[in-house]
Amino acid sequence: MEIDKIIHEPTRLRIMMILTGIEQADFNFLLTTLNLTRGNLSRHVEKLESAGYLKVKKSFNGKIPNTRYQLTQKGSKALAQYWENIDTLRRSGQS
Amino acid sequence: MNSKQHNKSQDQNTEKLREIPKWTRKYAQNRTLTAFVLMVMICLYSMGIGVTSYLAARGFIKGHIILASACIVVLAAILIFPIIFISKFGGKNRGLIGQKMDQWIYGREGTASIAVPELTKKKKWLDFVCGAVVLICMLGTMFLSMVGYIAFKYLQPVSALYIVPVFVFEYFLIRPRVGPLFLICPILYTIHAILIVAGVPIFFTGYLRFWNMVIPLFGYLFLTYVIAHLYSRYALKKLKALTHLEGDTANGD
Repeated sequence: MEIDKIIHEPTRLRIMMILTGIEQADFNFLLTTLNLTRGNLSRHVEKLESAGYLKVKKSFNGKIPNTRYQLTQKGSKALAQYWENIDTLRRSGQS
Repeated sequence: MNSKQHNKSQDQNTEKLREIPKWTRKYAQNRTLTAFVLMVMICLYSMGIGVTSYLAARGFIKGHIILASACIVVLAAILIFPIIFISKFGGKNRGLIGQKMDQWIYGREGTASIAVPELTKKKKWLDFVCGAVVLICMLGTMFLSMVGYIAFKYLQPVSALYIVPVFVFEYFLIRPRVGPLFLICPILYTIHAILIVAGVPIFFTGYLRFWNMVIPLFGYLFLTYVIAHLYSRYALKKLKALTHLEGDTANGD
């Protein structure tokens, strides 16, 4: 059993957990909620996107660009598997 | 001992992380400030029509032609406004006003949204029928009050018989887009009706007697939106407490 290293990173795990509760969130929401710098958030979401866990939708609100993120089916499955593995590890650690 | 404490703290952290989706959902469900502002605008618009119509009529009756003419010009401008509004925000751009206002109100904290459930044809039709029935029932109740079949103080309890079920139906239709706090309005409306029937004098008399149905309805709706908005602030605070990471951990890879 292997822990998914992409999800296991604290910030990325939080991004995935935020997105699992809703349909989509924009860059600004993740930025203020996670208290990150723009560069760091971009780096983390890029990693999740390249793993196929996030879907990115770009649009414009008037002249202001708006980037929204949505968890993919692959991302949902990977997150569920991640928690399953964590629980198994915890149980084996306790016994 | 130290290892046990470490495990316990790790378990607590894991449990905290599992709460993130719950608080994100609660926050997204209760972003009601946009709906609140839209409702205020609709109320102001309706009041504008009412006041200018009343002043125009009074002006003509009392012979103040300048006042009456000015009121008619203002009234015409108010009535033309929906045409301009629909040309800009109707049809393909439906929902754009909500988006723009959402951006204006919540722009600083960003957007988190829950999908609006796709309605089947049958549900869409049922939704339309419910809206039409409520409108007809409201006008019917008002008419029956005016001709003396229903006492003005019973306007609200009678209207509760059809308004409350429709509100509950709407809630089940659009959830999870909205949370259970949406039910505050029908619950308060029902309590209000029961109290009136029980003899508690919580109704208007005199000039305001015609408003016995509308004022409680809008009042409880406003209250629901305010409570939901305050709850969204609480949910966001809880969410931030769960998601904020310190320095290196936040930016580490």
